Amino acid sequence: MTGPVVQRTSPRVVLLHTVTFKQARQWVPIALPVGAAIGFDSGLTTVAALVLAVTLLSATSAALAWWRFGYTDGPTSVVVTRGLLARSVRTVPRDRIRGVEVEAPLLHRLLGVVRVRIDAAAGATTGEGEEVLVDGVTSAEGERLRAGLLSRRSGATADAAGAAPAAEPPAEEELARFDPRWLLYAPLAGSYLAVPVAAVGALFRLLDELPRDLRPDVDGVQLSGWTAGLLAAAAVLVLLALGAVAGAAVVNWGFRLVRRGGALVADRGLVTRRHTELEVDRIRGVTVSAGLGLRWAGAARVSALVTGLGDAQRRGQLLPLGPRDRADALAAQLVEDPGPLRRHPAAARRRQVVRAMTPGAVVTTAAAVGAVLAGWWPVLAVGIVLLLLGVPVGLGRYAALGHAAGPRSFAVRRGWVVQEKAVLQRRAVVSWQVRQSPFQRRAGVATVVACVGAGSGAYSAVDLAAEDVAPFTRAASSDWAGTLAG
Amino acid sequence: MTAPSSSPVREPAWPVSRSAIGLWVTQGVLGTLLWAALLVPALLLLPTDDLPLSLLPWVGPVLLVLYAGVAIGLEPRIRYRVHRWEVTGEAVYAVSGWLTRTWTLVPISRIQTVDVTRGAVQQLYGLATIAVLTASSSGTVRVRHLPADVAERVAADLVHRAEQVRDEAT
Repeated sequence: MTGPVVQRTSPRVVLLHTVTFKQARQWVPIALPVGAAIGFDSGLTTVAALVLAVTLLSATSAALAWWRFGYTDGPTSVVVTRGLLARSVRTVPRDRIRGVEVEAPLLHRLLGVVRVRIDAAAGATTGEGEEVLVDGVTSAEGERLRAGLLSRRSGATADAAGAAPAAEPPAEEELARFDPRWLLYAPLAGSYLAVPVAAVGALFRLLDELPRDLRPDVDGVQLSGWTAGLLAAAAVLVLLALGAVAGAAVVNWGFRLVRRGGALVADRGLVTRRHTELEVDRIRGVTVSAGLGLRWAGAARVSALVTGLGDAQRRGQLLPLGPRDRADALAAQLVEDPGPLRRHPAAARRRQVVRAMTPGAVVTTAAAVGAVLAGWWPVLAVGIVLLLLGVPVGLGRYAALGHAAGPRSFAVRRGWVVQEKAVLQRRAVVSWQVRQSPFQRRAGVATVVACVGAGSGAYSAVDLAAEDVAPFTRAASSDWAGTLAG
Repeated sequence: MTAPSSSPVREPAWPVSRSAIGLWVTQGVLGTLLWAALLVPALLLLPTDDLPLSLLPWVGPVLLVLYAGVAIGLEPRIRYRVHRWEVTGEAVYAVSGWLTRTWTLVPISRIQTVDVTRGAVQQLYGLATIAVLTASSSGTVRVRHLPADVAERVAADLVHRAEQVRDEAT
């Protein structure tokens, strides 16, 4: 056989997968009934035998998987061969590789191996990337794979086989570095607050499964009066905040974003180190988003919109958490700022307020009828409060609306609970969609959706003045959009 | 011009096939029959003894008649006036909907695939749908209810032109 030889992963991965029961997990559904048939309760020897059997099984399957796994890193494609009985051969042409990620979870790090994730967008229409996973190569080999795959893919420049990756260190430019003080923003971000909540949930599930006599006895504690309640609430809040900070620290520790040649490289993580590369050429735009809490603290996060990127939510992150001005500056470095946003017409404000008040109005009307017939006065009060809250919510939603078209890019912004500003390159637009409901028609506004082959796929300017639609689409993309103006 | 004056963008030039009205009426009739089939058992199971509930059995049939009137009498005619399409030198352009209207414009250079589908009811009327797909999951143009031969011809033409002007910047 000519060409590159089939390579194997490090044998250390066998140990790794034995310990984590990676392959053995699929046997659990079979093993459980078998175990139940034998009976779990026949003493310590059975338990020991079971543990031994499971470990042996795990070791065997891990060894088999390692033995049958091979990858070839050829000049035109990467071939990954695997499978015990049913062999699967997956070939990924190099020019389809969109990104390479090197991950080192804790156990991997202890054993000095890494996991390489190769992202290859299959069909652009599905919008889903396909992944090839090479688990358990040495860190040096992982680095070699990453550098080799990415450098040879773009442009096929004079990169002879002998040129070691270290021999040509392209100029590095640091775009962002995580400041540990930014962790203080974490309790204000919903996604990080969810971390401690999930942890508490898992803890409770664990408690449920513990035998009764092992459970801590908390029934004896007497909670009485307001002070105790307040104390408990304060304690929960403090714990939530600490948990969010800790969660954010684990994920984002040492975050660093650099531009190296034609790629953006992000490194992050305390326990699991992640190394993500994005090709600058495939970036179509960026989003700067911030929830209510982050906006109040003047913070935001930045993500890149990259074509054909699987798991874009996580991998596209360019700044996980940081001050607003840094976020805006970073966004402007990648996609030209199209200038200040233009406000939407007064009709849009009216519509947003009316829409925000509608749920309150429905509850109030129903409760008014109910109050007369059956004395639902508390419900009526709730309805009126909802109705009144609709005013600031609607005004907030209106204030978030904005659009702008610059010479090379355009921007749209929307959202109140989470405000998202998308700045897109003109070439990003693959289609325009204009929507108008009967209410919008009466108000003389319409919603313009820029369809993009990256990110969520659609970015809207809500309630644009009807007469601005055609000029905006024309200014934000190329001549073809002139069809809308007629 | 059939479009209302407050239309935010230009209307595409060409109407869809006239037989589309018949097709939409058929769909309305089928929908009405389906709801009726669901309503009849519900009526049989409803208790009718209580006085405040005695009006309840009428709610369903009244709604059904209203639905039938709109879906059979009104919607097909409005849809025929709204639905339009056009293929220009640079783009595919179409508008659909009856209450909420959606105009979609896809430049030929960004076309990824072109599908022609013929549903069961469409085959009765000799109609077909062209779907022009792009790299974005939301940026699809669908031109519904064109004569089948026109649809085939337009699709072949679009595929041919897309191959010549495709640019990689998706």
